[in-house]
Amino acid sequence: MSENKEQINEEDAESIDNSEILDDETVKLKEENSDLKDKWQRALADYQNLERRTQIEISQRVSNKTNNLLLNFINIYDDFIRAENSLSKEKIDTSGLIAVIKNMESLLAENNIKPIDAVGEIFDPQIHEAVSMVEDDSLDDGTITQEVSKGYISGKAILKPSKVIVSKKKN
Amino acid sequence: MAEKIIGIDLGTSNSAASVIQGGKPTLIPAAEGTTVAGKAFPSVVAFSKDGDLLVGEPARRQAVTNPDNTIREAKRKMGEDFLYKIQGKEYKPQQISAFILQKIKRDAEAFTGETISKAVITVPAYFNDNQRQATKDAGTIAGLEVVRIINEPTAASLAFGLDKAKEDMKILVFDFGGGTLDVTIMEMGGGVFEVMSTSGDTKLGGADMDQALIDFVVDEFRKKEGIDLSSDSTAITRIKEGAEKAKIELSTVMETEVNLPFIAQDPSGAKNLEVKITRAKLEDLVNPIVQRCKSSIDKSLEDAKLSTSDITKIVLIGGPTRMPIVKKFVSDAVGKEAESGVDPMEAVAFGAAVQAGIIAGDVTSDIVLLDVTPLTLGIETLGGVREPIIERNTTIPTSKDKTFTTAADSQTAVTINVVQGERPMVADNVSLGSFNLTEIPPAPRGVPQINVKFDIDANGILNVTAKDMGTGKDAKITIQSTTKMSDDEIKKMQEDAEGHAEEDKKKKEAVDIKNEAESFIYTTEKLVNQDLKDKIPQEKGIQITDAIKELKDSLSQDTEQIKQKLEALKAIVNEVTTELYKNASPPPGEQQSGEQQSGEQQSGEQQSGEQQSYANEQQSGSNEEKSDSNSEQKSENNSN
Repeated sequence: MSENKEQINEEDAESIDNSEILDDETVKLKEENSDLKDKWQRALADYQNLERRTQIEISQRVSNKTNNLLLNFINIYDDFIRAENSLSKEKIDTSGLIAVIKNMESLLAENNIKPIDAVGEIFDPQIHEAVSMVEDDSLDDGTITQEVSKGYISGKAILKPSKVIVSKKKN
Repeated sequence: MAEKIIGIDLGTSNSAASVIQGGKPTLIPAAEGTTVAGKAFPSVVAFSKDGDLLVGEPARRQAVTNPDNTIREAKRKMGEDFLYKIQGKEYKPQQISAFILQKIKRDAEAFTGETISKAVITVPAYFNDNQRQATKDAGTIAGLEVVRIINEPTAASLAFGLDKAKEDMKILVFDFGGGTLDVTIMEMGGGVFEVMSTSGDTKLGGADMDQALIDFVVDEFRKKEGIDLSSDSTAITRIKEGAEKAKIELSTVMETEVNLPFIAQDPSGAKNLEVKITRAKLEDLVNPIVQRCKSSIDKSLEDAKLSTSDITKIVLIGGPTRMPIVKKFVSDAVGKEAESGVDPMEAVAFGAAVQAGIIAGDVTSDIVLLDVTPLTLGIETLGGVREPIIERNTTIPTSKDKTFTTAADSQTAVTINVVQGERPMVADNVSLGSFNLTEIPPAPRGVPQINVKFDIDANGILNVTAKDMGTGKDAKITIQSTTKMSDDEIKKMQEDAEGHAEEDKKKKEAVDIKNEAESFIYTTEKLVNQDLKDKIPQEKGIQITDAIKELKDSLSQDTEQIKQKLEALKAIVNEVTTELYKNASPPPGEQQSGEQQSGEQQSGEQQSGEQQSYANEQQSGSNEEKSDSNSEQKSENNSN
């Protein structure tokens, strides 16, 4: 009986030992699992961030390229407007030129590019750039009197601020 | 995941920021987009008429309409006791810089999608402790913990990856910005960057080049059409844009054209501006500006005690260095090709991001960054002469000391006046503070040994200790701001120092000779009346007394007179003492008693065997004073 008891006790001790080892292993595995899960989640987050960023970068690059091209185009468009102004002052027929300008404007509109309103508006440094000031008591302080270079916006982004001359009261 | 730290190039005219992404520095764009100038954040702050705060590009755009409430170049005022007064409120320069940093923080957060609370900020190598502290404060005000302040040239070198090089090297960093030029020479070895010298010109930059080109275009048009466009703001705006474009194109092509149709109109019709510009023409126009950079390069080499052949690498920073003529000029001046591969406009911000990456653990490097003292630190000695203790451009932390003595008999106290600057006379430098060492036991002048130790710790804080070597008693002062002066003042003082070098030399010579004469009179009188009273023949005694009288009378006259009389007295005394020593040499070691407690260097003096000259020099010193006017005879321990 007592022998059996001892045997059982030994077995008990052995199973206690085993269960302790198992417990240790479980803890270790749980830790490893949680660590791996954490790493996996981070890797996934990194990947998702990368995907998001790549998308943003691609669209940014495309829009930068397009905007640069359109900015160069806008310079020529501005020259056409100057030509039309100059020629019409000399009483030369500019109807053909006006048609070309209209086509150019529709190209800009298709690309969501709009000119910034300037003359008569109150100066806004978010969209206008002041190059000088003129004294004028007949106008509200900060009214744009002249546009020296046209500005454009593409959606919400400023492609090019309009460069303007702004009024101030004499006193 | 480790928190992201951004790198900020807080510039005078424009700032830029960068962050490590995927192991590489990426430029942080401003919400308004990148400006034509290249850098994203113009360093401009303004308050609109309604009191709204404008920072960066919008502030720049409105500057001409609101000059009184627009602040530019606040960096030049950093660390100064200066206040901007705007709409009845006062702002310190660091508050203004903080507005710019705040904007950068905001845009960086929008760009990275993370909260940014830490930054590395760059400053010019010559920035003093006050200016560096002000920069840190600006960061704190903006809600950024400034984890490190690094020098701009160091940042640029990091951006070019020079820290990865295995061999030791000397790097010349040529930073040519819109309005300033900074030349820095650095030594890189064993993973350490050390600034050897800095030089520059605060009124030289790319803006001068742009103006030269604009003037040329306006001139050409006037010659051709007889119309002056310089007062036509619309035309000038278009010319500026056209000239800028041409300048950029001419860095890659040999010829371009500024083509501005309908630029003006007169009764004969519309006028078109068509000006051909070759690269040679552009170079011809900007060459006078480029040549002005030469003196700064020479000065930096001279200060670093190097020749061009010692320079191993050249790093170019700033937009104008993109121009082939500028690259060639620097290469020719130094005799080496400049480093390439990083945009010179972005290099500093990239380098700051690399340093930020090192701190955050995103980038590995063994680099250690060290600071230097921008100006010489010393103390005042007899006659208002400045005695240098720590020379400028010394790497900190550092510790140096020299031994001085008293100027009068039974002098029981000395005043240590700590001064900073490059001029030999105290009055032309800046006093940082002073303190007294008291309770010196009464003794004849020249006997007490007072060791003055300057200690600058890693944070740039200066501790000055004066210790009476006889009693062991000491007194000290801590100077938090070792550099109370502005950048402008430093520059001015250095320029002054150069301009006044001859005048200063004469002033110093006059004081030195007077000090020497007084000291020699004292020694001789003591010799004649006490020490050798019975050993000097009467006739010689009278000769000496007369010569002393003549020398005393000459003290109020010019330097030459004093020199002559001093020489005459020395000749007689020499004659007498030579005669005496012929008869009886003193036993060896006798003079080592008493006075010589500070050890090593003093024993050097004694062992020189020139006892008479020792006696002279030992006494030629001065108020809270050095034992002689030649610093090499004093102890100078550099525990750097």
